[in-house]
Amino acid sequence: MRVTGALLAVLILTLNACAFSRGTLGDELKTESINSIKKGVTTRAEVLAQLGAPDRILQLNGRDLFQYYRYDAKVGSLLLILVNFSRVSVKSDDLFVLINREGTAEEVIASKRTEGLEFRFWPFGD
Amino acid sequence: MPRWHLLRVLLLTTVASSTLAGCNVARLTINTPLTPQHVAFITEGRTTLADVVTVLGAPDSMAEAEAGTTVIYRFLNAKYSRVNFGWLAKPWSPVDPDLIMSRSGFGADAYELICDSNWVIIHQAFVRHRPEPLFTPYPF
Repeated sequence: MRVTGALLAVLILTLNACAFSRGTLGDELKTESINSIKKGVTTRAEVLAQLGAPDRILQLNGRDLFQYYRYDAKVGSLLLILVNFSRVSVKSDDLFVLINREGTAEEVIASKRTEGLEFRFWPFGD
Repeated sequence: MPRWHLLRVLLLTTVASSTLAGCNVARLTINTPLTPQHVAFITEGRTTLADVVTVLGAPDSMAEAEAGTTVIYRFLNAKYSRVNFGWLAKPWSPVDPDLIMSRSGFGADAYELICDSNWVIIHQAFVRHRPEPLFTPYPF
């Protein structure tokens, strides 16, 4: 117990600094906006009104594929006097809306990975 | 605990820390690196894209293919380590010496799927499937 305390004291004495940084790219994809898109019902104009212009428009077998994305990056650093540990974690939220030739949403593919993103400094393990 | 024992623990810890002089260990991950175990549930000709999205989330990109649609999951696992042995001479040197060894490894990879017109997976494969990079500062 005392050894652990002593080691903890040494760690605290050698702790130089901690750093937390964050960067995001793109607007947040709101769950209610994604859920409001109904296959075969929601039109192209309604998708654009709800989500704005897509980040990318692709052609998929004669149909338009709207892609929306958002990236979130979290950086944690533990700066000791002699050794530094840092970890950068980046995850993305993605939404694909396939618009058929009639101008309605045919397929909606979405996931939000950034919700579980945490600040981590320990670079080892998963 | 006797005082000398505490001092010994502190000394050993300091010596151990000194051998790590000027060390930096950093890691960058983009999305969750996928392994064959993550995609073992996918059966060509049976699994649909909806099943894949339920487990892996939305892909990073989709594109038109002759047989249907190509779906790509990209991920990165990069590791960087650096040791500055010059730190060992700092207490005794009038200058600030550096003897740095560093190495980085990028485990960039992608997992590609091809779906038919009914969104059923007909082909799937890792693009590179590089081995896991190591934290090894020795560059030679």
